[in-house]
Amino acid sequence: MSAVRVVMLLAGKDLRIEARGRQTLGLVVVLGILIEVVLALGLGQASSGLRATAILWVTYLFGGVLCFEKTMAVERQHGAMAGLLLAPVDRGLIYLGKLCANLALLGALAAVVTPVGIVFFGFDLSAAPGAFAAVIGLSLVGYAAVGTLFSAVTSASRLQGGLLAMVVFPLSLPLVITSTQVLAGVMDRGEALDMSGLGVIAVFDVIFLTASWSVFELVVEP
Amino acid sequence: MGGTRRIAVAGYWVLSLAALAGAAWLAAYYAPVDADMGVIQKVFYFHLPAALCMFGACGLVFVAGVGYLWQREGWWDDLSHASARVAVLLSSVVLLTGMIWGKQAWGTWWTWSPRLTFSLVLWLLYVAYLVLRASIGSEQKRAVVCAVYGIVAFLDVPLVYLSTKLMPDIHPESIELERPMWVTLGAWMAAVTLLSAGLVAARYRVARLERAHEEWALRTGMGGPA
Amino acid sequence: MTTSASIRLGRPGARAGSASTAVSLRGVSKSIDGRAVLSEVSVELPRGSFVSVMGANGAGKSTLLRVMSTLTGATEGEVRIFGESRGAAVRAKIGMVAHETMLYDELTALENVTLFARLHGVPGAASRARLMLEQLGVGAVAHAAVRSMSRGVAQRVALARALVHGPELLLADEVFAGLDVGSRELVEGVLTEAWGKGCTIVTCGHDVEQSLRLSERVLVLERGRLVMDEWAHRLTAGSLRERLGGRA
Repeated sequence: MSAVRVVMLLAGKDLRIEARGRQTLGLVVVLGILIEVVLALGLGQASSGLRATAILWVTYLFGGVLCFEKTMAVERQHGAMAGLLLAPVDRGLIYLGKLCANLALLGALAAVVTPVGIVFFGFDLSAAPGAFAAVIGLSLVGYAAVGTLFSAVTSASRLQGGLLAMVVFPLSLPLVITSTQVLAGVMDRGEALDMSGLGVIAVFDVIFLTASWSVFELVVEP
Repeated sequence: MGGTRRIAVAGYWVLSLAALAGAAWLAAYYAPVDADMGVIQKVFYFHLPAALCMFGACGLVFVAGVGYLWQREGWWDDLSHASARVAVLLSSVVLLTGMIWGKQAWGTWWTWSPRLTFSLVLWLLYVAYLVLRASIGSEQKRAVVCAVYGIVAFLDVPLVYLSTKLMPDIHPESIELERPMWVTLGAWMAAVTLLSAGLVAARYRVARLERAHEEWALRTGMGGPA
Repeated sequence: MTTSASIRLGRPGARAGSASTAVSLRGVSKSIDGRAVLSEVSVELPRGSFVSVMGANGAGKSTLLRVMSTLTGATEGEVRIFGESRGAAVRAKIGMVAHETMLYDELTALENVTLFARLHGVPGAASRARLMLEQLGVGAVAHAAVRSMSRGVAQRVALARALVHGPELLLADEVFAGLDVGSRELVEGVLTEAWGKGCTIVTCGHDVEQSLRLSERVLVLERGRLVMDEWAHRLTAGSLRERLGGRA
């Protein structure tokens, strides 16, 4: 079976499980909106591109961690990960399948909390909606790459919740710093999209996709 | 520990502390007081060597991680742990001396300047390593997870640097040093390097002894987790 | 079974083969966090063997099966499954049922089995999966979510999952635990049928009579050491029980 089909099969399985239970997405969307309410109560409507991106990142980071934990918990419940590891497929594909499922969930989360944030905080994305989508989209790929790897690590170790956040947040800070700076330039100062900033995010994605893909097999061995 | 080894270790520490004392003397009496920064400029002699040694320690965590995943020998894990502790210690020094500098130069303890942000993120990265270590019970699992984290965290360092470069900067790009300042800096570099290497070695040695003790306890069924 | 008749002549394990060997362990030790779980286990299982691994809880039975499945690597020693140490080609020939079902609660029985059939590249995965479920007597609940199933039914679905790609080596860890009498007989029948088709089967469990009835060879582990390797027809339930220290 081709690699692409294996990845689609595994990601489809995760999304089907999510569609049956609808636990994760409901949880993270409501959590994201709650975070925005709390921040809006303190910060009010006056906001800049710098703030907008940072506020949205808080919702993406917390929601994302819950997605990563949930999609990996499915594999742990009845030892299903052992079944996947026994399949005669490249184990890196198991990682990629999980990553695709996580990205789909993150995308759905962003699709809800971003418009809500725009309304709550009066963000103005009209200056460069394309740049915003590109920067956030690329960043979420990198975040999911790191999150998926360490969700496998922490799930295999039966660690308590919260630890995953503590591990992936510091690692993802370059994404947060870069995207807030780049979007502040675009939104607040009306500059053109800083391609070197976008490059940093792209390099992050490439490095962590490659590294995670190659070490995944080592960390999941049950 | 054999007698010769004991003497060598004691000698090493005497040398290191002497180097530190010498460096401190140079900083206090030999290096001139900076015209703009005043006495506070002297934290720089500690700041820069600590930063360089911190990168060394982070690199050692990375090397130990790769070594462990490759050979699966416990001593690589002990080295990784020892280096990470020293990396956190050194990055705390870098962060604090940076803050002292910032207070003098810009009148505020904290500003989101690229370098302070960079130091802070690095500190967080390696503190997370220590917390992660403490949260995993199984020895083998802990070693694998920490090895992977150590590798990933080190790969993250240049990205953190690049991302902070995008931030607006008020840091001095280059500092002009007079000859006595260079000499003092060199002395501090030697002292901090000796101390850092000594601390890594000491922590490593303690971890090895603990591991040996645990193995002994397991073998003989005395003590240790049942 | 001409092969099994010929090996009955010698002592178990005396025969070392390559092409005809399914599982070959040489001096295999496995330690987890410094604790020895398996110590210097050496055993050769020819193709088409039906072997029961017995021993007290914590004797290392499950770990032995995991090592044979290549899920876990040995700390020391050499593991060869069909002549290879690990890799996708070996995994393609292995089916495994463990105490945990390895099934997804939210998916139906058919979806679970079809997923693994697809991963193994079985042609006509869905129809093959349905056939397996019917053979195991759980065709009626093919469209029910695994979450709603009793342990016995879920275990049979798990067995369907393990057999769907026609493995050459079936590792069944505690496959009979928690099954009612009807399910037990059915599972026994399915195992025997797979064996009849040339599949090598390694089970582990606690039931002495059942092990002697089903298998042709019995291995006994005690604190990670292989302390007995004997043909089943040379053992009686009493002698085996005695060997197990009266615990079984």
